[in-house]
Amino acid sequence: MENISFRTTVLPLSDKLYRLALRITMNRAEAEDVVQDTLLKVWEHRQEWEQIDNLEAFAIATCRNRALDLLKRAGRRTENLDETAHFSSHTPQEQLEAREEVSLVRKLMEGLPEVQRTIMLLRDIEGKTYQEIAQTLDISETQVKVYLHRARTKIKEWITNT
Amino acid sequence: MDYKYIEQLLERYWECQTTLEEEAILRTFFRQEDVPASLLPYRALFIEEDEMAAEHLGKDFREKMLRLVGEDAPAQVCKARRVTFMRRLRPFYRAAGLVAILLTIGNAAHQSFTDEETPPQTAETIAPDSIQQILMGTPEQQSAELTAQPIDSIGSLTR
Repeated sequence: MENISFRTTVLPLSDKLYRLALRITMNRAEAEDVVQDTLLKVWEHRQEWEQIDNLEAFAIATCRNRALDLLKRAGRRTENLDETAHFSSHTPQEQLEAREEVSLVRKLMEGLPEVQRTIMLLRDIEGKTYQEIAQTLDISETQVKVYLHRARTKIKEWITNT
Repeated sequence: MDYKYIEQLLERYWECQTTLEEEAILRTFFRQEDVPASLLPYRALFIEEDEMAAEHLGKDFREKMLRLVGEDAPAQVCKARRVTFMRRLRPFYRAAGLVAILLTIGNAAHQSFTDEETPPQTAETIAPDSIQQILMGTPEQQSAELTAQPIDSIGSLTR
């Protein structure tokens, strides 16, 4: 049987949970608080770890709910993340333009419905399969594909129209 | 350079028909510097996702979490070793062996003490009656001799 421990199984999920919380709250401090609450919640359920089929999916679902609760309590608000340069070999003008494009993509992401944003994150950044995403969000694989398709279509339209 | 494959992948990406591996190819492609002008507008999406993927919590956060759940002590490394049934019984064998040795020594000591108290056994002490019988004859022989003697005496008298 797999040996589950907080240090070796739960804690390594921190960054993944952080990115999800960050995608939802768009605020680093709030995202960190959400991850802390999530990990403590998972720790409280330590007696049931052996019975939980997929502990990672459980943690991600808990994190998402906590982040959404936080937004609900505070009223929906989003903040821009600090941006870092990523276009080192381009001219300053190109870097600026590219930076602006990335910022605009991020703003577009913020404008997507939360479920679409979360699914894009789980698929494109965390590399989850449709089945894993469906299990985590407790929806069908078909729904996952529909939401993802809507999100990508919006982004494509936005990019081609600008 | 022909970017038809990338263009096809991108079209399939928008339609959610790409595999995770194909999406990784797209991501790698858009990370490079020389992206053709026709595909450049899409680069920002993949760059934004790369930046998000690089987001992580500091080491302090992990230490804080370990303290909060009371697991801040360094993890103890335990090496698992398979122990056979016979190996598990080894302490009992040792104890049994020790008991056997003690009993042997005890018996030997007891034997030596009892030997000092009693005189050494000789043939006379072991079976004095038997030696007596050999020397004197058995009780039947003695009674037979006694009964035979008067007859001889009578015979000798009559003669």
